[in-house]
Amino acid sequence: MKLSYYPGCVAKSTGIEYDISTRSVCKALGVELEEIIDWNCCGATHCSNETLAVGLSARVMARAENPIMTSCSICYSNLRIAALRLEDKHLRDRVNSLLDSPYSSADVRHVLEVIMESMDEDSVAVPLNGMKIAPYYGCLLTRPPGGLDSPENPQILERFITLLGGESVVHPCRMLCCGGPIFMSQEEASSRSAFQILRAAKSAGAEAVVTACPLCHLMLDAMQRSIESRYKEEIGLPVLYVTQLAGIALGLGLEELALDKNSVSPLALVEGINASVNI
Amino acid sequence: MSTGVYICHCGLNIASVLDIEELVRFAEGLPNVAVARELQFSCSDVGQETIKEDIKEGKVDRVVVAACSPRLHEPTFRCVLQDAGLNPYLLEMANIREQCSWVHMEEPALATEKAKDLIRMAVAKAELLSPLEGELMPVSRNVLVIGGGVAGISAALELANAGLHVFLVERRPTIGGYMALLTDVFPTNDCSICVLAPKMTEVYNHPLITLYTYSEILNIDGSVGNFTVSGVRRARFVDAAKCKGCINDCAGACPVEVPNEYDFGIGKRKAIYMAIPQAVPLVACIDPQACIGCGLCEEACPADAVDYEQREMAFKFDVGAIIVATGWQPFDASRKEEYGFGRYRDVISSLQVERMLNAAGPTGGEIVRPSTGEIARSVSFLQCVGSRDATVGNLYCSRICCMASLKNAQLIKEKYPEMAISIHYIDMRAGGEGYEEFYQRAQRLGIEFIRGRVAEIEETDGEIYLHYEDTLLGEYRRRKCDMAVLSIGLEPDSGAEVVGNLLGLARRTDRFFEIAHPKMRPVEAHIDGVFIAGCASGPKEIQVSIAQGGAAASKALGLLMKGEISLDPTVAYVDRDACVGCKLCEGICPGKAISVNGTAFVDEAACKGCGTCAAACPTDAIHMRLFSDEQILAQVRAATAVKGEYPFIVAFLCNWCSYAGADLAGTSRIQYPTNARIIRVMCAGRVDPSFVMEALRLGADGVLIAGCRLGECHYVVGNDQALQRVKVLKGVLEKIGLSPGRVKIIWCAASEGEIFARELEAFVEELKELGPTGTEIPQARGG
Repeated sequence: MKLSYYPGCVAKSTGIEYDISTRSVCKALGVELEEIIDWNCCGATHCSNETLAVGLSARVMARAENPIMTSCSICYSNLRIAALRLEDKHLRDRVNSLLDSPYSSADVRHVLEVIMESMDEDSVAVPLNGMKIAPYYGCLLTRPPGGLDSPENPQILERFITLLGGESVVHPCRMLCCGGPIFMSQEEASSRSAFQILRAAKSAGAEAVVTACPLCHLMLDAMQRSIESRYKEEIGLPVLYVTQLAGIALGLGLEELALDKNSVSPLALVEGINASVNI
Repeated sequence: MSTGVYICHCGLNIASVLDIEELVRFAEGLPNVAVARELQFSCSDVGQETIKEDIKEGKVDRVVVAACSPRLHEPTFRCVLQDAGLNPYLLEMANIREQCSWVHMEEPALATEKAKDLIRMAVAKAELLSPLEGELMPVSRNVLVIGGGVAGISAALELANAGLHVFLVERRPTIGGYMALLTDVFPTNDCSICVLAPKMTEVYNHPLITLYTYSEILNIDGSVGNFTVSGVRRARFVDAAKCKGCINDCAGACPVEVPNEYDFGIGKRKAIYMAIPQAVPLVACIDPQACIGCGLCEEACPADAVDYEQREMAFKFDVGAIIVATGWQPFDASRKEEYGFGRYRDVISSLQVERMLNAAGPTGGEIVRPSTGEIARSVSFLQCVGSRDATVGNLYCSRICCMASLKNAQLIKEKYPEMAISIHYIDMRAGGEGYEEFYQRAQRLGIEFIRGRVAEIEETDGEIYLHYEDTLLGEYRRRKCDMAVLSIGLEPDSGAEVVGNLLGLARRTDRFFEIAHPKMRPVEAHIDGVFIAGCASGPKEIQVSIAQGGAAASKALGLLMKGEISLDPTVAYVDRDACVGCKLCEGICPGKAISVNGTAFVDEAACKGCGTCAAACPTDAIHMRLFSDEQILAQVRAATAVKGEYPFIVAFLCNWCSYAGADLAGTSRIQYPTNARIIRVMCAGRVDPSFVMEALRLGADGVLIAGCRLGECHYVVGNDQALQRVKVLKGVLEKIGLSPGRVKIIWCAASEGEIFARELEAFVEELKELGPTGTEIPQARGG
């Protein structure tokens, strides 16, 4: 399988571990990635101007030669929204009048979908040995509807965790907003939301949280220390990208998954898994 | 042929603007005109007598009345002709009041010229009129009622009591519909089955009602007055003649338990069962999917009624009219995944709570929390589940759920005064006699009303929590409750699709059956002889369904009582020699009146005379008895004979909306330019592209076509078809070098006189920009 890879901006900066682990996992699964040349923002930063946002996504999609794969939930959602809006001929013509190569149609996939399609029990080299993992969806992975799973009761992360040999813990906040979008303007409210998620996962017995979105990851992982001090409660919950978790189960190395880049270190956890395999 | 032209003064309504004497002189000079007279008031007795005398004296055999709109007085003058011994269809009217004197008050000279054209057009059409007879057709005086819910029961009883024979066909093993499953009903809180059961029994015992339960309709042929219906009665595997309805013996012996669909899944029934204790007919039924064939019920039955060899039985009968009362089905609450119905045990549907509250239901009338089996301490009702919700494709309000939840909340509160009850609503809708008082009573009982649609239900450690914004407080809340009741909306019954397709019934975007007019014809379908009652045409409470059943019955009665009906002769017919059997007409006929078997055939009883088939026919094999191609083309030629104005417009207006809209412009005295000569057609879909081409060929600068607003066509889709044709026509014009802007199609409702006037004004300006017709062709410019 050959896919046009659209990393999105975060995967090239604060979320570099997502980019690294995505490439490693796809390689291990035999999925060939070809990064889209001269890609641009998906339009998330221009949500106030619908036409511009759609135009930015259209440019990205028009540059892809194969089905597009992105790892970022925000990009995934934005590209799909754009594709839906571009079904309107009027808007499509308007957007295309500005593009060098015109947009006609697009097949947009998320890396989680690609992993679930390419992986089976046999490819799991290092089963997670019943490790308790909290699935965390965030808001955009399943929206707009018609994507990889139901927006109101998705199950793909639960199936993913089970496939890798982990135990998916049930907690009520798996789709609560991470607070990321209002992180700048409403820091208190945004921290409260992220805190609620982490606490729900922890009290459900989770040893780690798995997420598919760089913004969710930022809120739950990078902000965890500051949340702990704000609410004076120790959490210490590693937050892994879906690609990192898949990579661990595929037996990939620490560097291939950039596990050292996570703010809350998952290394102890990984050692535990590997140790259990060696026994 | 001798035509009489009668020009009306209408007091000063016409005469103050138009030069009547000039018009009379003009009419006298037209070919075949034997008599031209002016009348002060043509519709008065004096006016009518003048026309009658001319006819009786043999002076005229065609009549043209130039007066008001034919929509007003065409029936009057047709009677005049008939009284005088002339065929009523030999009349044509020229509308010189609503569409001339009243809208061109400042332009008497131009208006008089326009009136001349209108009279010339009417005379030209009158020459081509032929006498038409509305045939009398004997009809069957039986009526089919489809669906044995409360609407169908009410219709069947009304008809049978009036002396007509009724065939009542119900899909389930018992009649009674959803009403038979409810507990008490609003706004009186009387017991539902107690008021319904006597009606069900009456149906069963009525000598003029033939009841087919557990039956399906497989085919319906024919048209108004003479439908042939066939179907099957499914096997119950119980002999209805022998079964005593005791049920305990057989069901007691049966070892198979399945969820009871009549309890909406919360109770259980056996493989041999009675849908409800009050079932009509009171005959047991074996569910072949559940039965394991052990034979225990056969042994247990004291009446030897169990018959495993029973087979389904076909039936066939003729009826003159059909009442569709196919009802509704509940919205599948599990589609709203955020509420967890089907995943969380303590989330139940409003129908399940109805069964819980029913003393004969699975919990014996107790409000039991499914997860624990104990009496619930708190219950929350969530409104608008599957209604007013674009995410599930149901934009409509289901109308009964607010009242049903108010009722259930009251019943629960009366039984358990300590229980905490909340109703989560977007808007409380309690419009109806005694409804608002009912709402206030609920408030006084201490039921909590919280405004805000619930966002999601969370289940943690076996407890359920509602998440919502209280929009009156402007605050986000999380509320624990023992049980959540989803007030599920009403959707059209999916089984009704078969019947809808057999009859060719139209559906609205909400998927319910469409009635002939959303306000004025509430129980009539678009198909003659077919009526719709109850929830088949949209969500309704019980009392409205009963009223509609009665209304549909009286419509059917009015149609069939005399035993014969007079057919409208202004229909389509086929020239079989010209027909090539392409079936185009069969597909586009909105009334399903055309069938093609080698060549096309028009069922004149079903045809409504819109003429869209005649416009579509590629070989011109379909003709209209009135509004024929020849008549319309004669009007076009007469209209363009002089072209005394620039730009000159020929306009085709549909009878029901845009012609009426133009009339309204007249009665409202809205002034607009005199440039258009209006030709009335029954539907915009009647306009054959050849009419347009002929008008342009004869030098008209533009052609206007006006129809009902899209989605509001009197013939359902005639205006859509007109739009399609205009699109194609514009392409043709472009190819031959004419500007596509010379043809314009507009939508104008009967209430939109102002819109008609403004659209016409705009078209005149557009045509001025284009220049006279043909100037866009280089050769025509001499270049």
